[in-house]
Amino acid sequence: MNALFSAFGVDWRLLLAQTVNFGVVLVALWYFLYKPVMQVLEKRRSIVTQGVEDAKRAAEKLAGADEAAAKRVVEAETEAEEIVKTARTAASLDRSRMLAEAEERSAQIVTDADLRAAELAERVRRESEKDVARLALLAASKLMKERHE
Amino acid sequence: MGSGISVVLKAQTLGTLWGFPITNSLVMTWGVMTLLIGLAFFFSRSLKLVPGKLQAGIEYVIEFVLDYMADTLESEELARRFFPLVATIFLFIALVNELEFFPGVDSIGFLHLGSVTPLLRTPTTDLNFTLALAFISFFTIEITGIAMLGFSKHASKYVNVKSLTGFFVGLIEFISNLGRLISFSFRLFGNIFAGEVMVLVAGYFLPYFLPAPLMGFEMFVGFIQALVFAMLTLFFIKLAIMDPAEAH
Repeated sequence: MNALFSAFGVDWRLLLAQTVNFGVVLVALWYFLYKPVMQVLEKRRSIVTQGVEDAKRAAEKLAGADEAAAKRVVEAETEAEEIVKTARTAASLDRSRMLAEAEERSAQIVTDADLRAAELAERVRRESEKDVARLALLAASKLMKERHE
Repeated sequence: MGSGISVVLKAQTLGTLWGFPITNSLVMTWGVMTLLIGLAFFFSRSLKLVPGKLQAGIEYVIEFVLDYMADTLESEELARRFFPLVATIFLFIALVNELEFFPGVDSIGFLHLGSVTPLLRTPTTDLNFTLALAFISFFTIEITGIAMLGFSKHASKYVNVKSLTGFFVGLIEFISNLGRLISFSFRLFGNIFAGEVMVLVAGYFLPYFLPAPLMGFEMFVGFIQALVFAMLTLFFIKLAIMDPAEAH
């Protein structure tokens, strides 16, 4: 066995040295290559995962926003319908009020006209009576004058 | 050429430091370590959340390997835990093997007693390097088995006295597990060393035509061997964490 080891130059000190050399390379590569690359890969993986989660949340938010917008539109439509209805009711009330007022005013005008007509007729009647009385007096005086003559 | 082909089976010692032998394969190991750590350092400094082409490519490969490991081990947590080990085995061996024919490797050295001692030698052509990796892989597999199943359950894979067949199966399992040390180390060492020798021989016979395509092929073999070492470690980890009843 010793002859074999000697032929191949196997020496426990060199074996140990090469083992240590490999250990040094292993530690150095772990520190300078594997660890940083793994960290970068892990960091990128977490960023991608975060991005996917963010996109999912944004999509959910967008869906929520659409829903809210649709709700707001429905609310606005209902409100608008309510306003139109209120306006129509108010306009209807105004028209009725104005009609009533107009009717009242026309009735008032008619009443005033009737009163004035009655007054005028009364005055005319009174003046006619005066004229008839004066004519009667005049005729009476004329008759009396003729008898005397 | 006149001196023939010189093939040295073991790494040559360039000198000693406090009695510790500094071999040419050890020097190249340090060079490759510096290169690999430097590349990783500069890459980590340029990491961005929005990646460039290079970063995206590396991230894709890492994620692909992680997914494959998670499928094999049937656990994402285990895949993340063993990824650094498996990936480092692959990267280290692959880079070492790909630099096998880099100018200067095995060609620049010191003239010593009439022969050249190269300054750099591919570490995978030194059994100390491949055996060290085999030990790391072996102990990782065994310790993982004990940690996941418990000592007695893990040991029951090797020591089974319930039946004669079970006893022999356990014995074979034990021997084959020990054999992994040899298969892991010699497979890598043999493939890369044989490739170097083949290129050397080809250069001796057909120096202008054969070595370049063979070098390309050997670089491919180097990549495959790195992949084989890393994947076998992964598969044996999977076998180690499986329940003995399930494993057979």
